[in-house]
Formats: sequence, C-alpha cells, structure tokens
Amino acid sequence: MQLDLSFIWTAFVGLLPAVPTTIRITVVSVLSGFAIGTFIALCRMYRIPVLHRAAAAYVTVIRGTPMLTHLLLIYVGLPLIVDGLAERFGWAFRSVQIPMIGFAYISFSITAGAYFSEIIRSGLQSVNKGQLEAAHAIGMTTPQALRRIVFPQAFAAALPNLSNSVIGMLHGSTLAFTVSVVDIFAQAEIVATTNWKFFEAYLAAALLFWGLTILIERLTALLEKKVTRYNRGGVA
Amino acid sequence: MIKLRGIAKSFGKQEVLKGIDLTVEKGEVVAILGPSGSGKTTLLRCINYLEKPNAGEISIDDFSVNCRKPAKKDIHLLRRKTAMVFQQYNLFRHKTALENVMEGLVVVKKLPKEEARRIGAELLEKVGLADKLDAYPSQLSGGQQQRVGIARALALNPEVILFDEPTSALDPELVGEVLAVIRKIAREGITMIIVTHEMGFAQDVANHIVFMEGGLVVEEGPPKVIFQAPKEERTRQFLARYTSDSAYSI
Amino acid sequence: MGAKFDIQYVFDYFVKLLPYVRISLIIVAASIALGLIFGLLAALPRLYRIPVLQRLSQLYASFFRGTPILIQLFLLYYGLPEILKLVHVDITRLPVLAFVILVYGLHSGAFVSEGIRAAVTAVDRGQVEAAYAVGMTGFKAFTRIVFPQALAISVPILANLVIATLKDTSLAFTLGVMELTGKSQTLPTISRHFTESYLALAAVYFILSLALERLFLFAERRLLKHENLTIKESRVLLRRKWLNRRENVKAAFSKGGA
Repeated sequence: MQLDLSFIWTAFVGLLPAVPTTIRITVVSVLSGFAIGTFIALCRMYRIPVLHRAAAAYVTVIRGTPMLTHLLLIYVGLPLIVDGLAERFGWAFRSVQIPMIGFAYISFSITAGAYFSEIIRSGLQSVNKGQLEAAHAIGMTTPQALRRIVFPQAFAAALPNLSNSVIGMLHGSTLAFTVSVVDIFAQAEIVATTNWKFFEAYLAAALLFWGLTILIERLTALLEKKVTRYNRGGVA
Repeated sequence: MIKLRGIAKSFGKQEVLKGIDLTVEKGEVVAILGPSGSGKTTLLRCINYLEKPNAGEISIDDFSVNCRKPAKKDIHLLRRKTAMVFQQYNLFRHKTALENVMEGLVVVKKLPKEEARRIGAELLEKVGLADKLDAYPSQLSGGQQQRVGIARALALNPEVILFDEPTSALDPELVGEVLAVIRKIAREGITMIIVTHEMGFAQDVANHIVFMEGGLVVEEGPPKVIFQAPKEERTRQFLARYTSDSAYSI
Repeated sequence: MGAKFDIQYVFDYFVKLLPYVRISLIIVAASIALGLIFGLLAALPRLYRIPVLQRLSQLYASFFRGTPILIQLFLLYYGLPEILKLVHVDITRLPVLAFVILVYGLHSGAFVSEGIRAAVTAVDRGQVEAAYAVGMTGFKAFTRIVFPQALAISVPILANLVIATLKDTSLAFTLGVMELTGKSQTLPTISRHFTESYLALAAVYFILSLALERLFLFAERRLLKHENLTIKESRVLLRRKWLNRRENVKAAFSKGGA
C-alpha cells in the first residue's frame, strides 16, 4: 500500500454526493430536537404534573446512554411496535415501508431533544426574573412576554451551547451508517473499499467534516455578535 | 380613584399582609413608609398582581378585581391600568432605551411604530436622556437606567404608577437625578404610589403618607401630621431613627 | 429481527453483558489517562504562547474536536501504520485495542487541552495578584493558588468528558473490538431478540454513567470544600459566581450532542 495524496482530491469529489444526506440528517435532528427540547424544558420549568417527571426521566436516560444505542433500539424496536399496532388495528402500513433514513431521523431527534432541552432550560434560567415581571407590569400577556422579552435573551445566552450541540449532531450523524444510510462516512467507506485506498478516503471525509464544523463555528460567531450586541458595556 | 380592601397575602405560613385598606385619590402622591419586612413592597406588587393576594379587592375607578377568584382577563386589564418602576430597573436588556419605552406602546397598546417612536423620544427627553435613545441598558448608569424605567412607565399613560424603592439600588451620587425626575412628574398630577426610604423626599413630594409595620397600616395622613405630630408611638420611633440619617434628601 | 418481545431476555442478556463492562472501562480509563497527558502537552504551548507549537496545538485541538470520532477511528487505524511505515516503524501487528485507546486518547486530549485553558483563565486574576502580594513566586502562585482552584473548576468538565468517552466507546466495535456494544450485537444472532439485547445494553451504559456521575459529584464536593468555609451571606453570591463561571467554561468546552 502506498500513500496517494492526489487520490485525496478524487475521494473528496467522490464524497460530495453524500453531503446532502449528512446535512439533511443533521438539520432534521437539530430542528426537531429543538422543538422537543423546548417542550421538555417548559414542562420541567413550569413543573407540569406527571409530565415534568416523565421529561426529567427522558433527559436522564437519553443523556446517560450512547446515541448509538438509541439508533439501534429504534431500528429494531420501532418495527415491533408499528407492526404490533398495525396488526391490532388492521392498518395497511407495515414497518418495512419506513425508509432507512427515517430511523435515523427519529432516533437522532430523540437524542437531540434531550440535549437541547438542557441547553434551553439553562438559557431560560439565565434570564433574570425581573425581565418577565417588567413585561407583565407594562401589560404584556405571558406568551407575549416570553416571545418578545425572554426568548431572545435566552437564545443569546444559549447560543454557544447550541452551536456545540449542532456540531455534536453533525458528527453523530455518521452513526447512520449502521442502518445502511449512505452519509459522508458510509460513502467514504465505499470509496475506500472500491479503490483500496482507505487512508486517503477517510482523510477526505475528515477534512470535509472539519470544514463543515468550522463553518458552523464561524456562522455562530457572526450570529453571536449580532444577538449579544446589547451585552457589551461601555458608554454609548 | 384606587381602592384596596382587605388585601391579605401569605408566603407559606408567614402572613405578610394582614388585610390592608387603602384609598388613593386621583392625582394623589402616596408614599408608603415602614421598616424592612413590613410588607410595603409586597403590597405594592399586589396592586398590579405581580404577587397574587390571597384575599381582598382591588378597584381602579369602576373596574375591580376580586382577589379570591380573579379572571385572567381582569389581571391583564389591571396591569394595563397600572405601571411600575422597579428597584432593580428591570429594563429589557436586549432593547435600547428607546425600544424599552416603545415596547409597551407597540405590543400592548398596538400603536404604529412611528407614533410610538415619537412618544418614546419625547418621554426620554423629558427624563433628560435625549442623547441616549440608542444606548443599551448595559451602557447606561444606574440613574440613567432608572430614568428610562420611569419613561417606560409614563409611556403607558397609566391610572397609577407604582414605584418600588426606585432609588435603593443606586449609588448615592445618582439618587438625586432620579428623585428630581419623579418630583417633576409628580407635579403633573399623575397618581403615584411610592415605596421609599427617602424620608425627606417623601415629606416633600407626597401629599399622603402611609406608615406600615408588620403587615398592617399603622397610621396614615398628610405629611405634615405624620412627620410633625404622629399619633402612634411606633411611627415616632421609626421616623426618629430615619430622619437623622436621611442624607440624600433634596 | 423480529422475534416476539420477551422481557426475560433483557435480564438474561444484561447478565451476559456484565463481563464486557471491564473492557469498556479499560478503554475509558486508558484513553482518559492518555487524554490528560496529550491535553496537558497541548495546553502548555498555548498558555505560555510558544510560537510555532502554539499553532500546532491549536490545529490538533481543532481537528480532533472538528471531526467525528468514528472517522478518527478509521483514519488512524488505516493511516497511522502507513505514515509510520514511511519512517520504517511497523505497527501493523499492534492489537486493535491499542489503536482504539490511542484514538480516544487523542480525541479526549483535544477536549482536555481546551478545558485546561478555560479553567486556568477562569481563575480570578485577583487571586494571582493576591498571591504575588503575599510574596509568592510565579511558580508558587500557580501550584498553590491557581492550580487547586482550576482543578475544582475542572472536575465537572472532566466528569462530562469521562461520561462522553464512555458513550463514545460504543463505536469501538466498528474496528472489531468486542466491548459492550459489539457483544450486544452478537448475543442475539441465534435468538433474534435484538430489541431485548439493546435494551440490556442501554441499561448497562445508563447504570455506568449514573455511577460515574455520582462519583464525580462526590469528588467535586470534596474539592469545593473551601467554598463552604466562607460566611453565610456571601456564600450565596460566591456559589452563584462559581456556577456562572462553570457555565462559561462548559460553553467553551462541552462536547455537545452525541
């Protein structure tokens, strides 16, 4: 085996078709994770009976187990549930109709939800209680106060953690290969085995992910500058 | 006219307000005095329902809220008729001075943005901050922040403005500028209820003094009577202790 | 897939997985130990601003934090022998486990180096000044004042890292290491009770991370003892300050999702 540096470029080009899959998995899991996380965080902060206990258990269990186990469990467990229900209620739908990438979407969203809920919770808690009181005092309803006063400040406070988690989900998306989804990593494996050039193929994949990660970091830095403008002291 | 009847409030087992009756006439400036823990801040916060009273009735003109079973809509209405200036200013941190004043006008009163901006700029000028319209709270001194807080309260054109120890969090040299602004708007005939430790200021600005202790109103009346000839022994003791060290009166 | 769900298998597999806890924990312990060494080595040039080395350590941290651990595993597994072959070192007969530990070590080292930097910079500048003011040398000030405080700040960071590494070890099976996850996939090959096996697997990981978390909480309490000596009133404030500080450090450092 010889190092073939020019093949890195060839491999890089060969990986590009898989980029949209990786991005799609990341975006879906981040967006639905954010929605689940917000719901869970609010359940816990407002101590909604029963639900807040269930929410706390969900967060602890998911954060205490590897993302891979979530995917494996969804992959083998969901069909059992779906087909069981289908049989009982006579649906035509069967689990084989779930596309492979669907398992990744579902499982990664569940993973992301737990991590995001903690970030959202600490973001919300970082907003001073006086802000909500002042909003109420000028006559805002609670939804108005949350939307206009609390959420923007919580978002600014949570941004660094959010960015970290988005990167975490981007990297985690490589696990999708276990359910035969061809993302960047799986594509690298294909390129590697068909050309018998493993190092070059994986290096190309690593560089691709590195670039995407740096891109997310840069975008976050830009966004952060914008949303935390108000935090910079000094005399105007 | 604002009327409080039998306002009671407990935190757990601790009874903080034991049935307060208070009437405030239109245009009156009421100062609530009393030692720490007497319940004066809690009373003020009950008036706009930032604290939920356990019992009693709050009425403003012909609108009234029964505190035993308040409707959400009524609480909202009550808050629209009142405004508050906080001890810790509580300016919206992510909004400029002007946006802080505009916020209630745009969101609650649904005024068009241009009009809200005009009113906001006008009010900030009134409190002496015409040059700070675009400054964020983190860029303002405590005294400046509190003056924005006052402008924000004025903007809503409320029936009454509630002041919760508006100068307690300020450095001594900044107290004067805030008191001057409050004095200025007091002269315009806006109804105000002020919880304060500034005795000289209370004596000077208020036309009605309420002295509270232990969750009860001990004594109330015009400043002349309360400060010069209080009937109650406890009022006398309290005032003797305070007037000697009220250094920042102006 | 597809055998009918039978809870008995969960218990059965749980017990069968237990012997493999050892190998997963060995990977965690060895790679964290390696990671602490790599992390310290990488942090020093940046703390002391040594020209070229500083850039190199930045590159190292950025790469190992900026790429998925799964790709790092494959990249080094295939790449390292080839690179070393160029300098005539043959490591092709090194056991896979050694590669895995090396990769997790390099990976966690990147996070450790960022953590050390964040923790050291989080110690109040005033603390160092006070140390100088009572006549300490720079070295004394670091070892006696800055280091103990930075250590206390680092405990929660380290706890996070150890638990994250434990969860990451679930990927070692991809290179053929027979640890917990690998075993959980081979156990049900005959019975086809995969769901039960993965449930047992999740339970084992969950118990392990819970136990580790408790352990670190205990360590943190002991290290933060000095915080409790301060008088009651200021304690609330101090505590809050600590929490804030920790939040910042965490933000600079946390491993995020996966």
